[in-house]
Amino acid sequence: MSWSLGEIESLSRKATRGAGYLWGHAEEAGKAVRWLCAAGLPGETALAGLLQHNDGQPYEQIRPVDTSAMPWQARGGALCPLASGAALCDLAEPGFDAALARVGFPLLLLPYVVIAADMTKAPLRVVWQGVTITRNAQGTYMQAAPDALNPIEAQMLRVSPAPDHAGTRLRRSYRAEIDAPSAEILAKFAHRTYAPETEESRLSGAGAGLTDND
Amino acid sequence: MEQSPSLAIPPRDPATVMRLARMGSFHQSRLSFMRVLLRRLASEHWQFEQRSFEIDSRGVGHAVYTAHGPERSYSLIAFANDLPPEKRSDRVIATEWDATFALFDGLPDAADIERLRQHVPKQEAGRISARELSLSRANRSVRLWDHVIEALSAGRQPDAAKVGEVGYLMRTTAVYGSGKFGAADREMIAERPEFRAPFQVEMLAVYLIRSFVMDLVEHMARMRAPETAVPLDPALRRSFGIGNSTGLGMAPFLITHPVLINNWIAAREWALARVRSLPMASEEDARIFRKFAARAHLHAERWTSEHPLQITRLKALRTDMARLEAHLGDADLTSDMPWNRLWRWGGNTLSLEGQEQLASLLLEPYGSIVDGLSECMYADEQDAWRIDGAMSCAEMRAILESVYAWALAIDWSARTAQARVWYTSEAKLEPRVGERFDEPIEPYEQPLCPGRDAARLHADLRGLDGPLAAFLLRYPQHRHIARRAQIAARHPYAEIRDNTIDAEMLPIDLLRAKLSFFGACQFDPRSDRWLRINMYQNAPFPAELASLGPEDWSYPDLAQAAE
Repeated sequence: MSWSLGEIESLSRKATRGAGYLWGHAEEAGKAVRWLCAAGLPGETALAGLLQHNDGQPYEQIRPVDTSAMPWQARGGALCPLASGAALCDLAEPGFDAALARVGFPLLLLPYVVIAADMTKAPLRVVWQGVTITRNAQGTYMQAAPDALNPIEAQMLRVSPAPDHAGTRLRRSYRAEIDAPSAEILAKFAHRTYAPETEESRLSGAGAGLTDND
Repeated sequence: MEQSPSLAIPPRDPATVMRLARMGSFHQSRLSFMRVLLRRLASEHWQFEQRSFEIDSRGVGHAVYTAHGPERSYSLIAFANDLPPEKRSDRVIATEWDATFALFDGLPDAADIERLRQHVPKQEAGRISARELSLSRANRSVRLWDHVIEALSAGRQPDAAKVGEVGYLMRTTAVYGSGKFGAADREMIAERPEFRAPFQVEMLAVYLIRSFVMDLVEHMARMRAPETAVPLDPALRRSFGIGNSTGLGMAPFLITHPVLINNWIAAREWALARVRSLPMASEEDARIFRKFAARAHLHAERWTSEHPLQITRLKALRTDMARLEAHLGDADLTSDMPWNRLWRWGGNTLSLEGQEQLASLLLEPYGSIVDGLSECMYADEQDAWRIDGAMSCAEMRAILESVYAWALAIDWSARTAQARVWYTSEAKLEPRVGERFDEPIEPYEQPLCPGRDAARLHADLRGLDGPLAAFLLRYPQHRHIARRAQIAARHPYAEIRDNTIDAEMLPIDLLRAKLSFFGACQFDPRSDRWLRINMYQNAPFPAELASLGPEDWSYPDLAQAAE
């Protein structure tokens, strides 16, 4: 059963919020997973893994402490790709070059690198062990060992200007097949954003009033 | 949005337009999506056929209606049901409906229909595919349905007054599109010229639903009494629209799609500015305008509501329309920027309902300078959400002080200013509004209160300088509103300039603004958070589009009214 990209984005946004992220990051996570799934990459699996891993972690522990000092690092363990991706996009300018130490679920960082490259109209490359992905005006090119694409953590990750590209060009799709266990995990996180029903809210929340059946 | 630097009159100030009370007074216009659709169907000579109609005497079965455009065909697949009265509810909590529909991309084969028969009648509990563009349902108006079948089967026309009281035989509720429940995403079809303007899929589905419902009621009358049954008289038939019951489900849309909303409002404001800027008008244009003003007056007279709020507004609108007609009696509508003079008269004389009706009426004579603006009403929203982190904190503060000046003037520590919470309910996954200080819902708050968020951002920016990137790294709670503010700085009509969580906020204002752009008429609030409307009332049916034209149906016909 294929999913629409809108469904994937909506589920990912809600799940990220449900895991305790703020709305701004959750919105971007929705777009990021949408992009990955449209490119045929396992964005939903990466996000499900990240949210389980970071559930309840304070933002201050997982964000880059100082983006002017290389490599970027978190206070407590691995960098969060959503927080790092947001910072990367906000800082992007032609010639942008950064090293990131210990990045959780680095695949999730890719859509942010794509945006940064597109915004600055300057090709960028992201590299972690076993994976090199380049984004330029022609598209996104990937060289990756299959088991290196979606690790729990990349020890070192580098985003740098890309003078050339190599690998296979990713094709854009309008539908995606979603890994069912990952979707279930995301649905559980998303569920945390729904207010439990009370009789009072059922009657008043949607607006009781005149009859609707006449 | 295209710029017209030569305009003598600029578009209205967003601070005037984007207030909830005014948006809740918007009326349909030439730029409404139903009218955009019918213009295209007529100009491109779309052909329509009923490909299948397999419905038994109990009203159970399916039908297929296909619209053939220049390049592609689209089919409405309708499933009709024999629904026990106790199960009939328009609310989202319903699980069965009198009829359910999918708009199919192309021509469905038997396997497609069987697949959809398993899913479409279940609505949210079913699953559709990339071949389907929309999913929707409708219930009968019990008041009218039985009366019409009874009359037709006895060989009589139904009572026109009764028809007029309700205005439709079936009432839709949600019309889902854009990837919902597995349907095709908008971006799959957005490049097709016929779907470039917003909500054309949904408007086409409802237009075909109207044909199906009329055929169904005539079919049921024939099945009941084949010897005596008659079809509806064509003019009376046209007076049936399709009803719609709409609640909070669609309210957040106006806030969550700021670029799109900007483009809708901007198109209408540019259209109004173009007409107001005309140095003179022909006698013919003036005659057309006078006729439409009289028809709008009649529309206001016929528009009924039981809701106290709307009763008050309608009273004002009727007074406004009477004043307008009186003023038009001897007003000079041809020289010295006539429409701008009329507009300024309206601003000093009419209620908000009347002013916004006048705005829509002024566009009526001027299809040649108005209709093209419908090409500007779509938005590519995927590109709009990127934050410019190089912007300085001072620049962001300046944006907030300009776009959100109204919000910075609010005392947000007052309970009334933050009385409401927008949240999603666990039961139906639908947006709702609750009371912050009476219900345990604050932890579930959705980001649908830009004014308060802008005020908080402004407070945290105080005294800071340097790039926004560094600020947002430390204050991630402001990413959401920083993004909105940057969008609003580029798109003047992107942001509603009112407090969407105020104790006095009326969700129906949001609903009406959106529905007016659909082209809906006869807004009838049933509470402060859901309402009913009528769609396509008096519009030509597909077979009549060529002879009657796509344009002249949105207001009641004077000649017919005189009969």
